[in-house]
Amino acid sequence: MLDFIIKRFLQVIVVVFLALTVVFFLIRLAGDPTTLFLPPDAPREQIEEYRELLGYNRPLYVQYGDFVSSAVQGDFGESLRSQEDALGIVLSRLPATFQLAISALVLALLIAIPLGVLSAYKRNTVFDRIGVGLTVVGQAVPSFWLGLLLIFFFAAQLKVLPSGGGGTPVHMILPTLTLAAYSVARFTRFTRSAMLDVLRKDYIRTAKASGVPTMRLIMRYALRNSLIPIITLVALDLGVLLGGAVITEVVFSWPGVGRLLMQSLMNRDFPIVLAGVFIIALIYAIINFVADILYAYVNPQIRVK
Amino acid sequence: MKKYLVLLMTIGLLVVMAACTEGTAGGDDGTSSDGSGSDDGGEKDSLVIGFESDAATLIANNDVNYVTDTQIRNIYDPLIERDAQNGDLVPVLAEDWENVDELTWRLTLKEGVKFHNGADFNAESVKFSIDYILDEANNSAYRSRWVNVEEVIVLSDYEVEIKTSEPFPSLLDRITEDLLIMEPGYVEEVGTEQAAKEPIGTGAYQFVEWSRDNYLQLEAFEDHWRGEPSIKNLEFRYIPEFSSRMSAFLSGEIDLFKNIPVDSVEEIESSDNAKIEEVSSSRINYLTLNTFHDGPLQDVKVRQAINYAVDVDELLESVLNGYGTKMTGPLAEINSGYVETDDYGYDPDKAVELIEEAGYDPESMTLSLDTPNGRYPMDSHVAQGIAAQLSEIGIEVEVQVNEWGNHLERIQNREMGDMFILGWGPAFTPQSTIENLFTENAPYSSFHDPEIEERIHEVNTTFDDEERMEGYAELQHVLVEQAAWVPLWQQADLYAVRGDLNFNPRVDEKFQVHEMSWE
Repeated sequence: MLDFIIKRFLQVIVVVFLALTVVFFLIRLAGDPTTLFLPPDAPREQIEEYRELLGYNRPLYVQYGDFVSSAVQGDFGESLRSQEDALGIVLSRLPATFQLAISALVLALLIAIPLGVLSAYKRNTVFDRIGVGLTVVGQAVPSFWLGLLLIFFFAAQLKVLPSGGGGTPVHMILPTLTLAAYSVARFTRFTRSAMLDVLRKDYIRTAKASGVPTMRLIMRYALRNSLIPIITLVALDLGVLLGGAVITEVVFSWPGVGRLLMQSLMNRDFPIVLAGVFIIALIYAIINFVADILYAYVNPQIRVK
Repeated sequence: MKKYLVLLMTIGLLVVMAACTEGTAGGDDGTSSDGSGSDDGGEKDSLVIGFESDAATLIANNDVNYVTDTQIRNIYDPLIERDAQNGDLVPVLAEDWENVDELTWRLTLKEGVKFHNGADFNAESVKFSIDYILDEANNSAYRSRWVNVEEVIVLSDYEVEIKTSEPFPSLLDRITEDLLIMEPGYVEEVGTEQAAKEPIGTGAYQFVEWSRDNYLQLEAFEDHWRGEPSIKNLEFRYIPEFSSRMSAFLSGEIDLFKNIPVDSVEEIESSDNAKIEEVSSSRINYLTLNTFHDGPLQDVKVRQAINYAVDVDELLESVLNGYGTKMTGPLAEINSGYVETDDYGYDPDKAVELIEEAGYDPESMTLSLDTPNGRYPMDSHVAQGIAAQLSEIGIEVEVQVNEWGNHLERIQNREMGDMFILGWGPAFTPQSTIENLFTENAPYSSFHDPEIEERIHEVNTTFDDEERMEGYAELQHVLVEQAAWVPLWQQADLYAVRGDLNFNPRVDEKFQVHEMSWE
């Protein structure tokens, strides 16, 4: 088991390192940030001076080496825009992103698991049709459009909910719904098919034959066994929710990491982009790491493989 | 059950972390929640302004960006500002100014002005604020504009002298556009890092709370030298996405926002308690004709031909729905040095004739046209319109749409092709426009002519006002004759405004909330 954990942990480091490397070189393709931070009438000498001050005039591999050696000490440099510690800025936005991701995840589970169970148990009935229909719609609707639609109805027309921003729990309702839509669809589908597999098993038939009440049969015998693979799915989706909330955060003006990353990319505030990618990649890798460990703990066959 | 317990505990921990976030946790005083400034009942004393992005910092004299400057101008006062309607210089914290000689300016300051912390405004604070820009350690984006300032001398409590290293006639513009007055005692006590988070100025509004990427809350300053402003609570709320800003306005969460696309005007005008305010901005839009590279555009006849072939009136009418003021020369009417210049007008036959005279065949001519997307009103649509008009005389135009940062960088690196679309502003003075657009050092029009450039430098350093203005007048005519670019229009700044808000848009694009009130 220890071997397995160490191996997986090394993978986490490799994943984060590779993600940072790829992003480091990709954003440089966009150009260099100096021009966006000086007044347009700044003379060329000042632009050059500024470029030198920030080190953007050096060869790319030198900049990369410098970046890696600072980054391993947790130093991602200062934001070009506000001259504050880049990692600090990203970390200050992280709780808002977590808040949204967790509430979306909880909401998705609360809707998807009963729906999935019902669809499977009442297979080919109207419940199943509705469940499957919802999952198709949920996966097909782009979150950008869904978000704007919700804002249009609940904020602009009915005026019952705020259109965006952070402030009170009320502000969370629309972004949570938007963000949860995709996960609801995924979880429902997954729960349904996992349940269907289990319901076909011999021991369920035996239990049924021996007169176990329906509720108990589903909750105790079927659902508990089908939930195991869902751990991985939840972990994966939590990563997606944390990193993929960019669009939802922008549409709802939610002050989280995704929006910060988006704006920093547009402003070419590279230190923030890299610090943000570092945090998101790290979270994603760690969640998967934890899921793997949990999974291995639950199912010893995986450790052997 | 152990396995679920671990997962549940992890999630629980995250929820607790999330609940502790400043700005997203519930239970604040409600001023940041919806509709604070738009309640129908009772006396209104709050205003919420929607903004596309957060200020970079709240310290003055550091970030040159419009969003930062516009917000902090409610916290800090300048020495001089522009008249809201005609752009003339108006005294604020400076009462009077004069040239002692070509290298010396003397300013007399207003007495009895207090900072938010009770400290007195005086000559020391002016010196401190200018020195802040000049100090390399502060890394101010304004520094390059102020390098000609040699020294700031405090003559008395309310008199200050600025010495420059060479004649610097545009110093007053720099003071007006860049300089905001900081409280030296406060900044020295808490340091620049803290002063950038909790600013102290002499402005009509004082700092309350700043939640990054969320909102900035200010409240009226009772001891403000103009008297306490009518609107007591002011909030800037950051909503990056236009559709969301629009919904927030329609739902009454925000009362005012800027940069309404021309195709959304009708929707706002037809909604309840809302109006559109419009002002002809000092920002100009133009089509450049790049002479930095070899090619047909180096020939004045080809440049003139393109001026004849582009129908600016039609573009204004059909693409911008009439929102914009046509220009014919390098300067807009609002510019202090503006003179009327000849209009090329629309004459496609003449255009073909000129191109043929220059020895080219319009049918076999291909030009590139670069445009940003969303930086200026309908910019990429305007580019398509120009391409269509030029194709009518046979010129094939390849339109390339760029991300803004990339567009700007290609201009600065002189990598642009034949033509590109750009805006320039605030363009109140002839120098800031002509020098920064038509010299070799400045790529923003990518037009350069050694003779004209020499004349520009001569005029810029002429100290006699009248003589200088004559020089600029002559330059405007020469630039039009040389068809240095295709002038398009002064942008129309469009604002969505709550119906009962007294708001007159300013030509300098600022939001000076002390000028506003509820009906």
